[in-house]
Amino acid sequence: MHDHCLDDRHAPRAGGGLSARWRHALASVVCLLTLAVCGHARAAAVAAPAECQALQAKYPQLKGKTLVNAINPHTPGYEALDPSDPSKYIGFDIDLGETIGNCLGFTMTYKPVTFAALLTTLQSGQADIVISDIYATEERAKAADFITYSKVYDGVLVAKGNPKKITGINTSLCGATAAENTGYVEIPLIQKLGPACKAAGKPEAAIQLYDNNANCIQAILAGRADTYINDVNTVDQAVKAYPDKLEKAVAVTLPYSVGIGVPKNKPEFREAIMAALVAIQKAGIQTQLLNKWGLGAENLETPKLIVAN
Amino acid sequence: MDLFLHYLSLPYLLRGIGFTIAVTVLGLGGGLLVGLVLATMQLSRIGPLAAIARGYTVIFRGTPLILQLVFAYDALPHIGLKLSAMGAAALALAANEGPFIAEILRAGVLGVDRGQTLAGQALGMTPAVLMRRVIAPQAIRTMVPAFGNESVSALKNSSLASVIAVDELTLRSTQLASSTFDFFSIFFASGLMYLLLTGAVAMIQLIAERALDLDRPPSSRPFARLLPWSRGGRAASPAPATPGSPGGDGPSALPAHAKADRANRAAQLARNGAAVQISGLKKRYGEQVVLDGFDLTIRSGEVIALLGPSGSGKSTLLRCINHLEQWDAGEIRVGGRRLGFRDDGRPLGARELANERAGAGVGMVFQHFNLFSHLSARENIAGPLRWVHGVPAEEADRRALALLERVGLSHRADALPRHLSGGQQQRVAIARSLAPNPRVLLLDEPTSALDPELVGEVLEVVRRLAVEDGLTMIISTHQLRFAHEVADRVVFMSGGCVIEEGHAHEVLTRPKHPLTARFLRVMAADSELAVTP
Repeated sequence: MHDHCLDDRHAPRAGGGLSARWRHALASVVCLLTLAVCGHARAAAVAAPAECQALQAKYPQLKGKTLVNAINPHTPGYEALDPSDPSKYIGFDIDLGETIGNCLGFTMTYKPVTFAALLTTLQSGQADIVISDIYATEERAKAADFITYSKVYDGVLVAKGNPKKITGINTSLCGATAAENTGYVEIPLIQKLGPACKAAGKPEAAIQLYDNNANCIQAILAGRADTYINDVNTVDQAVKAYPDKLEKAVAVTLPYSVGIGVPKNKPEFREAIMAALVAIQKAGIQTQLLNKWGLGAENLETPKLIVAN
Repeated sequence: MDLFLHYLSLPYLLRGIGFTIAVTVLGLGGGLLVGLVLATMQLSRIGPLAAIARGYTVIFRGTPLILQLVFAYDALPHIGLKLSAMGAAALALAANEGPFIAEILRAGVLGVDRGQTLAGQALGMTPAVLMRRVIAPQAIRTMVPAFGNESVSALKNSSLASVIAVDELTLRSTQLASSTFDFFSIFFASGLMYLLLTGAVAMIQLIAERALDLDRPPSSRPFARLLPWSRGGRAASPAPATPGSPGGDGPSALPAHAKADRANRAAQLARNGAAVQISGLKKRYGEQVVLDGFDLTIRSGEVIALLGPSGSGKSTLLRCINHLEQWDAGEIRVGGRRLGFRDDGRPLGARELANERAGAGVGMVFQHFNLFSHLSARENIAGPLRWVHGVPAEEADRRALALLERVGLSHRADALPRHLSGGQQQRVAIARSLAPNPRVLLLDEPTSALDPELVGEVLEVVRRLAVEDGLTMIISTHQLRFAHEVADRVVFMSGGCVIEEGHAHEVLTRPKHPLTARFLRVMAADSELAVTP
């Protein structure tokens, strides 16, 4: 690396500043054509714990690499554009990913996709890792291996005053309409209420599928849906944005964990990520990050693997 | 409103426009290539090629673009083809646009009047020259609105590339809306950006239409000049029309003949060599026999009037002589050369055939004139001289003006065909067919499509060609008086063979065959010619 810089400095420089400008222009054009989401600056790096030196020595193949992180950047607090500088992604997941990268010596670029396409993008090799507030379920473990890092608390977002009196994923949802993102774990849970609703003599809950949080929230604002059940912090952010129109009815615990998705055929990479995550947790960095983003330190969960057999 | 203006000028969104334009341009450019290939395959009339193109069209026109995008992005890597998001989007959009653009191209090409293609072939244009000089310029004019449409649609479709992480305007807007909750101001802003982009496309379309509008004076069509088929530099000062005949250096110049010494002329003609020899010519369309063992020899300088009822095979015969039609059996020789075959007896390909036509010296005038409607009268004549015979631009232009003068139209040299009367158009068409100094001129009912009052001016031009130039001509006509006056010989056809032939005066006034007599009696009403059976 250093040699390279040295070479560069000694290389003959015809045209000086002009050629540099041209090179810059060329780089921009290449950027435009190959798309790589250039220009998304990294979040402030957190100092890496001491174990990281050893991990970098153990996994030298990751050092100096640039990995692609597939995200569904519609979840303020976890991953979303920085409203004050939209060329950056910010949030807890972004910071966590950057910290892991710092620890292992790689940098991260981002590929924004729909929630339902997160794992497809990983499977096709268009991304190397998924850190995007995705719940690690058995079903999803068929498409990717997961390293969990957080517990799941869901919030029930409703219109101000909770006109349908919804109290969670239970028979209070019968006859109501829920907005959800395609591929969310809440969908099967709501669908499973069918028999219970029938037994109570009520119609089943209807589900409207959207592509991102913003559309689900708009569905409630527009009166198309009665509720949107998702991660409690996402729900809190929505209430903060529309305090006169929305409220959180209740929080519920789901039997899942949030996980980092990695390809199924790269056990060593998975091992490295897991080891880095453990070191980061041990050093108290994850707790710091949870507090920084107001997500509650109680969310923290000791990493475990979820792998389909 | 403030928020709306803030997002409208936000560099993050404005940069997204760059990606939107890049996807659109790559998709349209690739689509044009795919479309050209597909249209060529379908127009080639080669069965398997056309079938493959059809199959492709069914698949890519019949499935949603969003699926094709996801396929290109997520499925192709499984077979080892990992494209960038932009690459996958460009590929999918191009593959999807291809069939639509192919149909636009095909409609444009098929929309060009068949008669002009025929005229171009008769002038000896190879398929490539015909495409470049006659079909493409006219097709492109008709295709501009459809292309404008397609570009707007591609621009809007590029927003679907947001599902495969192409960092374009729609993806940027939705992400920004999620992080700021300013849903409506952001989407109004990006909507306005799309509107400006599509508005720009509409503007380009209008400019292109204006630039290509033939009815505007050329000085206000600056772009038209840049097009490849634009007329080459016009001779600045056209030389005065050279008197005398363009056919004057032809092989068969004869002194003028008077009506009185027909016998004299007949004797002289008999001494001339054969210009065209047709023997045993047979041609059928399916079950219908059109030419049934037709024999005829035409001497240099001779004027033949072909008479006969509709469907008697007159037009087919003329087209065979120029090899615009293939025949089933028999032989045609022009100037002693056997047409349509290589030395080893195998048939010629389309390009060789065109070159042969250009070399054989057979000119043709059509019933419906078939002038190239995008070219001025002068260019209709000068263009083929340059493209087919390689005549230098200035000389071609001089020749065109001289010929226009001869047919009395030098004052209309820069008029488009559609601004000329039928009679004037036919006179231009005659001038065009004379330009390469043909050995033989074929005229296929040259006055049948004209209003009666316009017939005279065309016949007068043909009469002068016969009398002053001694050009060898075969004229199929219903004008008996004209035939009587101009033709040396009349050939009466019926059912694809010669029923009766002989000196014009003999056949027209004392027909021997009852079919001829009946035909002449019917036609006599028009021709005021006294027929004595």
